Amino acid sequence: MIEVEGVSKQFQELEALKDVSLSVHKGSIYGLVGSNGAGKTTLLKLLAGIYRQNSGALTIDSQPVFENDAIKTRTAFIPDLLYFFPNFSVQDVAHFHAGIYPQWNQARFEKLRSVFNIEVKRRIKTLSKGMQRQIAFWMSLALMPDVMILDEPIDGLDPVMRQKVKNLIIQDVAEREMTVMISSHNLRDLEDICDNIGILHQGEMLIQKDLDDLKADVHKIQIAFSGDVPPTLLQDMPALYQEKRGSVLILIVRGVYEDIIRSMQSYHPAVLDILPLTLEEIFIYEMGDHGYEIKNILY
Amino acid sequence: MFELDLRSRAPMYEQLVEKIKELIINNVLKPDEQLPTVRVLAGELTINPNTIQKAYRELEHRGYIYSVPGKGSFVRPAVPGNNAARLRILEKELSIIVTEMRYLGAPPQEIITRIKTQLFKDEGGNVDD
Repeated sequence: MIEVEGVSKQFQELEALKDVSLSVHKGSIYGLVGSNGAGKTTLLKLLAGIYRQNSGALTIDSQPVFENDAIKTRTAFIPDLLYFFPNFSVQDVAHFHAGIYPQWNQARFEKLRSVFNIEVKRRIKTLSKGMQRQIAFWMSLALMPDVMILDEPIDGLDPVMRQKVKNLIIQDVAEREMTVMISSHNLRDLEDICDNIGILHQGEMLIQKDLDDLKADVHKIQIAFSGDVPPTLLQDMPALYQEKRGSVLILIVRGVYEDIIRSMQSYHPAVLDILPLTLEEIFIYEMGDHGYEIKNILY
Repeated sequence: MFELDLRSRAPMYEQLVEKIKELIINNVLKPDEQLPTVRVLAGELTINPNTIQKAYRELEHRGYIYSVPGKGSFVRPAVPGNNAARLRILEKELSIIVTEMRYLGAPPQEIITRIKTQLFKDEGGNVDD
């Protein structure tokens, strides 16, 4: 559905994206994470057809995206900074969308009123930041998009609204096979709804994987011995990260669960726990592996 | 139908597999009963439909459910045969429980009695489970 091949984008001297490739299947939810300034917004704006790449190919349904009206009318894009016309009311915004997007569904717009519960006569500029986000979702869902591109969309929404919005998106994915590309720093939120994850860092794609595979691939081991730690253990099991807390050794290792458990048990530990990592932990350790670590600099 | 622990570390599809398996083993989901469709469950739990699809495939692979094209997934009546790997894990868990009970001072006789009571209670059900 969405294909990105070897895309690079420069802004004068700045190389925002370097040779990025990815592909998202129809009906899939792809989560884009990365350090600040990694190029997430640039990538999403390329996908929304707002920027043009310097090199590489970028297609949705095998069609190039840039300034392609046919694709853009089927795409909903919620940018990180929202823009509404001055003095527009909710109704005016809906009317404007209805005139532009041929798939606009007025009945759905009316129905969603009960979810968002905002008076349609109110002017957008009188609404709070979170409510303006809700308006963006309301419009995006009513225009029946085939592709949804969301740049840090749930920031500023309250927990109830977050859950509601996620649920609405999931329903569209399940019922109409909508394809979603979503960037966020809230990894907890991504973990629930994404099936694929890509990690960007300094304009390059570090890892791209099925979320469950990504989780099955890295493990957190808590191991303790009644005596000293066997010296060969760490050579046996190269760790992405290690830490000793009291008598417990904490290791982050890559590999297959069964292999790790077998090799650890051969040392006869007193305590052995193998835990899957959260997406947040995977992110931190992978970044640490690429020189983007958490260090105590001030103290 | 059920809730998942969104804060758990375990991958979502694994949690789904375990939950549904539990419902089948405890006879809450009866043999040949239809499971909710992927779409319905996705909407109910706010979980990616692809994740649910994956869990259903895994359950089918392990022999707990079967699918009828165009109709959906159903609980398989027969007891799955290929569960040697799972049994090994359960044996390990049992040994951890027994060790801890011993450490906390439970007399061996009591542990044995408890296991016997459990076995007796389950008689007539699927002892393999």
